[in-house]
Amino acid sequence: MNSKYYLSLLLISSLVLIAFIGIAFNRELNPEWKRYQTEYKEFLVKNATDDSTRERAEKIDIGMKQVYIKSLKRSDRCVSCHRGVENPLMADAEQPFRQHSGNYLENHPVASFGCTACHSGQGRAMNTREAHGEEHTHWDFPIIPSQYIQGACAQCHDYEMLRKEGGEKVAQGEKLFSEKGCRGCHKVDGKGGDLGKDIAGMGSRPFAYFSMKHVVGDHNLYNWIMQHFENPRKVVPDSDMRAFLTSEEAELLTNYMLTFRNEEMPRNYTLIKNIILPKTDGESLYRMYCVACHTDGKESIYDEIFERTIPAIMNPAFLKSIEDDYLRKIIKEGRKGTQMTAWKTNAAGLTDEEVDEITKYITRNRPAERPQHFRYKRFGTDAGKGEELYKLRCALCHGDKGKGGKRLLGMNLVFKDTDPEFLAITVRDGREGTPMVAFGKKGVGLKDQEISDVVAYLTKLSRNK
Amino acid sequence: MNNTSKSGLVKYRDNLMSIKSSFLGSFLRSGKPTSDKSRTAVVVNNFFLHLHGAKTHVNSLKPTYTLGLGLISFFLMVIAFISGGFLMVYYSPATETAYNAVKDINFVVFGGKLMRNAHKWSGEAMIIFVLFHMARIVYTNSYKRGREFNWVIGVVLLILTFVVNLTGYMLPWDQLSYWALVIVANIAAAPKELTDIFGVTQYFDIGGATKEILLGGTEPGQDSLTRVYLLHIILLPLVMCIALGVHFWRIRKDGGLSKPDNVTADGTGIVNISSPEKEGGIFPTHKTYGLMELAKGRTPAVDNDVENTVTSWPHLFVAEIAVFILTLAGVIAYSYFVDAPLKEFANATIPENPAKAPWYFLGLQELVSYSAFMGGQGLPGLAVAGLLLIPYLDREEEHFGVWFSNRQGKLIAVESLIVGATAVIGSLAFVINFGWFRNWWPNIHQLWIIAINPGNLLLGFVVAYSLFVIKRTGSTRMGAISLFTMFLICYVILTYTGTVLRGPNWDFYWSASQWPIH
Repeated sequence: MNSKYYLSLLLISSLVLIAFIGIAFNRELNPEWKRYQTEYKEFLVKNATDDSTRERAEKIDIGMKQVYIKSLKRSDRCVSCHRGVENPLMADAEQPFRQHSGNYLENHPVASFGCTACHSGQGRAMNTREAHGEEHTHWDFPIIPSQYIQGACAQCHDYEMLRKEGGEKVAQGEKLFSEKGCRGCHKVDGKGGDLGKDIAGMGSRPFAYFSMKHVVGDHNLYNWIMQHFENPRKVVPDSDMRAFLTSEEAELLTNYMLTFRNEEMPRNYTLIKNIILPKTDGESLYRMYCVACHTDGKESIYDEIFERTIPAIMNPAFLKSIEDDYLRKIIKEGRKGTQMTAWKTNAAGLTDEEVDEITKYITRNRPAERPQHFRYKRFGTDAGKGEELYKLRCALCHGDKGKGGKRLLGMNLVFKDTDPEFLAITVRDGREGTPMVAFGKKGVGLKDQEISDVVAYLTKLSRNK
Repeated sequence: MNNTSKSGLVKYRDNLMSIKSSFLGSFLRSGKPTSDKSRTAVVVNNFFLHLHGAKTHVNSLKPTYTLGLGLISFFLMVIAFISGGFLMVYYSPATETAYNAVKDINFVVFGGKLMRNAHKWSGEAMIIFVLFHMARIVYTNSYKRGREFNWVIGVVLLILTFVVNLTGYMLPWDQLSYWALVIVANIAAAPKELTDIFGVTQYFDIGGATKEILLGGTEPGQDSLTRVYLLHIILLPLVMCIALGVHFWRIRKDGGLSKPDNVTADGTGIVNISSPEKEGGIFPTHKTYGLMELAKGRTPAVDNDVENTVTSWPHLFVAEIAVFILTLAGVIAYSYFVDAPLKEFANATIPENPAKAPWYFLGLQELVSYSAFMGGQGLPGLAVAGLLLIPYLDREEEHFGVWFSNRQGKLIAVESLIVGATAVIGSLAFVINFGWFRNWWPNIHQLWIIAINPGNLLLGFVVAYSLFVIKRTGSTRMGAISLFTMFLICYVILTYTGTVLRGPNWDFYWSASQWPIH
């Protein structure tokens, strides 16, 4: 009863089953790495110069190889293909057989360091695609391209040493990071501005953390960082990041970014002897925290990214009129409503001494002569009249509400803590070297009473804010 | 003396020579089957075979009747059990080691990848074949004449199949596992939506409690993995084996596989035996198995239709082995070409977008996107209740064991397929284009959405339409065909929508290739 049917079904199914078990076995028995190892062995046998070398080459066993390092929690099977990594005979061979470049392995033997501790990639994988963590292999940390590899060195070495011995790129990256004012917006170890993202763990952020939409080439962490340095707004269209770097600088900084990893190397691996304390003199601090926005501080600049004018904080006229205490207060409290960060200890993390140093640096070229006092308090003021005057005289540059803004030459005038005396002096005397002209008797010719009215209007705006 | 020892050695030698036949004889207990009597004895005397009848009706061997679907489901389970045992050797259920263990199975265990694929695909294929098997039972009208409760056990086995697959999905502890676990835990917590509305969550938080029991805490972690692992390797397989044992045993007690009343070996359909009279019982026969003959009531019959039976050895067993090898070959071939997915290591800070449950639950996830409670628990609960009730609400005895009962049944099935597909596609198209209450009146009370949402309306429509079919045809059987067809097509289309048409933020896309690049 249908037995013929079932017997033929049985026969065909058995043949299919046997065939697939056969090809599956074949696939298991002939993996990629076995091909490489055979090739490696044949190469060594063929190129052996004397009998003992040939004998040794012929004894090379073919099988899975792994470096298991307990303290690093790693099983690196890279050596299953890269068998010549410690063999000087393979110095000029093609990959995957080539000997490791430089003399790095002398102090970093494969047996105790493995491969992925420095190079990343997926150590457990037994095929090139997944071992190198190519795209779509769902591995967050693909093998690090050689131009960024020095980021790995800083896990164990200090920058003093790296600068001298083979870690130039990452050492320069570290220097650039301090000098380009990156910390003005990015926190490192809890210290720095908060306009940008915290740098902590940057080098071990999972792939999915980043938007890869605009990244050219392979979508991975390294290309994202590099291209984001080259042109932040190309990778993240609404980014406010003020990085204007050459490709070389971008590469150095990418190296440095990859030093920020979540995992720490075990203590017996690290060799950090000279911890360089960050410099605390005014100039270094200014470069570290302020320079990204204020540049050299000589001129006020309309900024296309922030869409507002950034004040010239080292302009002589500015320094002449501002008191140290007020300046210090602005640095500490920031300017709410603008990008100016509050730098006090419990906000962006600068100590009072550091703020003092920065203040000293900014005011170092203050002209000796002080402005004539305005004595704002002696006037009875009328904010209504001030508003009319403001609309007539000031709104063109500073905007209708005194907030400056898009395509406006003037800057924001509305702050939480505003100093009327400082404002009045600036209106009266203007600010040399900027488009702000003197509105007092020496210039446009406003009376002190009128100036006071305008200042009263601005103070009122600030209070209502 | 010399003669005696020699004859002892001769005996020893003879015994040694005849080990093959004596061992086989002891194993089969009745020698090599050569006659119908000894073929019958093989079946009765063997633990594994005695679950079968000694003789099998020709209709059960007709490939176009059963399509082998139940057997395929069972064999898939056997394959999953064996490959699962293999994987268990290497797997370690700790959040730190699970992922690496699975990676090692893929990379360095000999045949590990194939085994993992086979385990994954045989498990997921079970869902499909169990559903097909149910469809066969419904369409051949086989859930009657004592088989009503076996249908109930079948539905329980369907649910177990779903759950055992789901728990397996969580074990690799990759991003898929983690976020599926999050979604499932949230579905478990769905009654919160209801208790919140009535303001009784703080006294009676059944949703939160279920979630905590499942996760062993409030967030997925080691305790969740331990629980899921135990469910997957011990509890669920055990319950499945028991339920399956009962399922098989009841098939025998219910008189074997269902068959039409007038089927014959020569295919003429003319019954040439006269049925003896018997009072009580559902089988028109007077002779039953052993002791049961003494009792009145429903009993399996034996000597009915003897002309149309053949010995199970070898006819049935050849068929079974053929289906087993076919299943195994299918699983191995599919596993050779398609790898089971394994994504990045679980990361609680980076949600998958879209975070999706495994594919077989994506129909439910589509419903959950309307209302967590109704989609996650209310509607599936009602659907299961509806499935369970089918044999109790349709008790028409005519056309037992006949595909679609008659011509009308075929027409009703096709009609319900079209109507059901139209209804589900229509409601999806409406929701995708126009949104629902929350999009129109952002401040609407959630109770309105729980009460009136596309899922509820769809279920209401399906029930109403099958009642309409019953009224129109005057037959509950037609209603059953209609209801099941619409259930199946809704499940298929909703699952397809959730799997293929829903992208990041559960937005609509025609295919995954149109998803915005992250």
